[in-house]
Amino acid sequence: MNRLISIFYWFSLGAVLCFITLPLIVVVAASLSPTSAVTLQPWEWTGRWYADLWSSRWLDPFLASVKIATVVAAISGVLGLFAAYAVVYERIPGSDALMSCLLSPLSVPQIVKGVAVVLFLSMIGLQGFLGTPALIAAHVVLALPFVTRMVATSLANFDANLDRAAQVLGASKLQRIRLVVLPMIKPGVLSGVTFAFIISFNNIPLSVFLVRPGDSTLPITVINYLEYSLDPVLAAVNVASMAFILAVIFLFEKIGGFSAQLHGGSK
Amino acid sequence: MNSLALDLHPPARRRRTLTWFPFAALSPSLLVLSVFFALPMGMMIGMSFTQTETFSPTLDHYQRFFTDGLSIAGFCRTALMSLLVAISVTVLGYPVAYFLARSTTRWRAVVFALALAPELAGVVLRTYGWLIILEDRGFINDLLLHLGLISSPLPLSKNLFAVVVGLTHVVLPFGILSLMTSIQGIDPNLERAAQMLGASRLAVIRTIVLPLSVPGIVSSMLIAFTMAASAYATPALLGGAGFKVLATMIYEQVLFYIDWPFASVMAMSLLLMMLAISFVGVRYESRRRSRASVSSGGER
Amino acid sequence: MLASICLTVSGIGSESAAAETLIINSYGGPYEGIIRERIIEPFEKRFNIDVVYDAVGSAQQDYAKIKATKGQPGFDLVVMTASQSLQGCKDGLLEKLAPTSIPNLSALQADLAAVAGECGAVHEVQYLSLLYRTDKLATIPVSWNALVEPELSKRVILPTFQNIMAVYLLEMMSVTNGGDLIDNVDPGFDAMAKVSAQSVGFEQSSAILESYLREGSVWAMPFWNGRAQLMVDEGLPVDYISPKEGTIPLVATLNIPVGAANKEAARKFIEFFLEKSSQEAWVAGYRVGSARGDISVPDELKDRQLTAGPDGDRLHLPDLLRLQEKLPEWAERWERDVVPNAR
Repeated sequence: MNRLISIFYWFSLGAVLCFITLPLIVVVAASLSPTSAVTLQPWEWTGRWYADLWSSRWLDPFLASVKIATVVAAISGVLGLFAAYAVVYERIPGSDALMSCLLSPLSVPQIVKGVAVVLFLSMIGLQGFLGTPALIAAHVVLALPFVTRMVATSLANFDANLDRAAQVLGASKLQRIRLVVLPMIKPGVLSGVTFAFIISFNNIPLSVFLVRPGDSTLPITVINYLEYSLDPVLAAVNVASMAFILAVIFLFEKIGGFSAQLHGGSK
Repeated sequence: MNSLALDLHPPARRRRTLTWFPFAALSPSLLVLSVFFALPMGMMIGMSFTQTETFSPTLDHYQRFFTDGLSIAGFCRTALMSLLVAISVTVLGYPVAYFLARSTTRWRAVVFALALAPELAGVVLRTYGWLIILEDRGFINDLLLHLGLISSPLPLSKNLFAVVVGLTHVVLPFGILSLMTSIQGIDPNLERAAQMLGASRLAVIRTIVLPLSVPGIVSSMLIAFTMAASAYATPALLGGAGFKVLATMIYEQVLFYIDWPFASVMAMSLLLMMLAISFVGVRYESRRRSRASVSSGGER
Repeated sequence: MLASICLTVSGIGSESAAAETLIINSYGGPYEGIIRERIIEPFEKRFNIDVVYDAVGSAQQDYAKIKATKGQPGFDLVVMTASQSLQGCKDGLLEKLAPTSIPNLSALQADLAAVAGECGAVHEVQYLSLLYRTDKLATIPVSWNALVEPELSKRVILPTFQNIMAVYLLEMMSVTNGGDLIDNVDPGFDAMAKVSAQSVGFEQSSAILESYLREGSVWAMPFWNGRAQLMVDEGLPVDYISPKEGTIPLVATLNIPVGAANKEAARKFIEFFLEKSSQEAWVAGYRVGSARGDISVPDELKDRQLTAGPDGDRLHLPDLLRLQEKLPEWAERWERDVVPNAR
């Protein structure tokens, strides 16, 4: 029986991983295919679409996206950490209602948020703010609920006895936050920040309305290109940007994994 | 709306030495959310009750929503699609999340990267990948035709099935991460202890892991549902003109017909759908918790 | 006289100043490559103005952006169509253009220029053509009703209603089957329901529509004649016709949003684009028609392009403002009566 369960577990794990990777394999094959007809025969593959990437046409939007995503990840990471701390750990009055407020942007489709921001800013006469600043703000609004939720989940699962123990042993509040709470919720915060980066980097629906002409992000450039041409350079762009994000995640996971080992050892 | 805030073990009677600090910590978030979310949304909601030309109050846009037939159909399609995505994301995500939460081998990093991979590829390309796979002349149909299992292509694309597959793929990383965070919070010693006391794997899963990870399951389903319901690009590309959901219809109203009041009416309906779903989640969660506290109270 | 002095003065001004910038919102794909080479680069050289080219959005999307920002969308010049030009003029969101500041406007044929109203400078005209595979169809189609012939069963691809091609096709099916352009479109919807039953589905993007014909799984579809001509030029086994019932022109325009930052540079660009030599370069490159009657057109394009105004009986011109108003209603009807018939 145990054996059966374990076979089933490994099988389902493998099946899900196949499901996840299948379309990506297709896309990679597309990026290597000489024409827009995808071929799975490696001897026909070519790298020329990747060579095309080294031009300002793709580099400029890429750099713009990296810049925006970094700022968004930093801002929403700090804001989300503070917010979850205040609501979940401190349980300030009305914390449930406040948590609902913090998560409410999740319930609104992005396109509506985007249009609402554009209309609002132009109605109060701040058209000049549209473009990258408004784009960053809108992305923060988008990412913040995810960050807050992730930090909140790890705070909620956090073993309060540790905190109480520290308190009994005479630790001050700031010491407890620094030495007990923060290390425990670090994985949650790191996942949140990573997510914020990815969400911003890949965003389309908000960006469509908020990018300033000449300052376009990578996904927007891609969908515009897709509108007119199906050539495999698009697949190459996405494979390249995926490789980039993978590197970013490995970086974060390295930090997170390190800390996890640390407090695993301290138990 | 949120289940997590309820799932606390508040540290008993802590001294409130820094009472101002939590409020200060919260205020930047609230400020950003009010300027770039609440106020703009409020304006759009106002718009949904306003005559376009004269700015006088009206319910016309709502009346149109309920009577044109298409909007209600779109609403039902959205609900069905999101529910299916929420279920499939949670079911498919669970084994991966469990592995990520428990594994200490070097494979963990590999699986972690693979689990997040769909999110990295960008919505357009993933959807494009699925199109190539599911199309009438796509991989699956090609293979089946080749093997002689079917005589004409199966309708795998441009329908509910394709959209659910594509969206499950899009949302899966989010489901996995919230499940993983929750499973990580379960003390592995509980499982070890149960196994040492002779519980079978199945019993351990059924009586320890699953019940303790309910917050993660609920939050995974909530995330999946809300993300699916508001996704645009995937339903647009994989559902095509034959499977329109509210998000696609809102997009059209905004970007094509420039009918913002009607777009806000549709957005309101989507919002209410999500609030209703979240409410169900919260109710479920609080019932579960009150049951749990009763039984643990009895033991003490 | 005054205008020419103004022009001279502003010309001097721009030469002495450090390079100005002009942000143009237009289209991507083949359009972008051709406009860069044939229009933008010569323009930059002559006026010492840096052009920032932005390919974001379709015409209708651009207009939504202009409306949302109350005329300050961040670009100085936008390529749209006569529909948005009229609408934008009515809403006060687009700058009025006059021959006093843009002399070449008066070189355009009056009837074509009038289609776009006061706020749009017509820089190209195309028409809705019927594109088909020459290697698959037994006979050359002559009528819009070829789309409902049994020969094309499951061999047609259609644009979604958000693509203005669908609207124009609906109108031509209406005219072909006894209806008209605006008030009696019932025959059009009936016919489109049949075409939809023939189709393999709907696609939004021109690039994707085009790919179906390219790979040969689909044998016919409506398409702008310029894009169709580019496919013919590539040597694909395709050709296109203007069916005997006539067709509807797509009048493309250059517009300046009222809140543009560099209006003067934008006017210079319009003036430059409408010059005889630029129009000739554009017509030869993008395979479209021009609103200027005095340009020389490559021989192979002469009888395939629109050169005259909408007075010819084969050209139907709907009232574009009324059409804009009808769109929401028609869109609902399209969803109800046309879309469900596909597959």
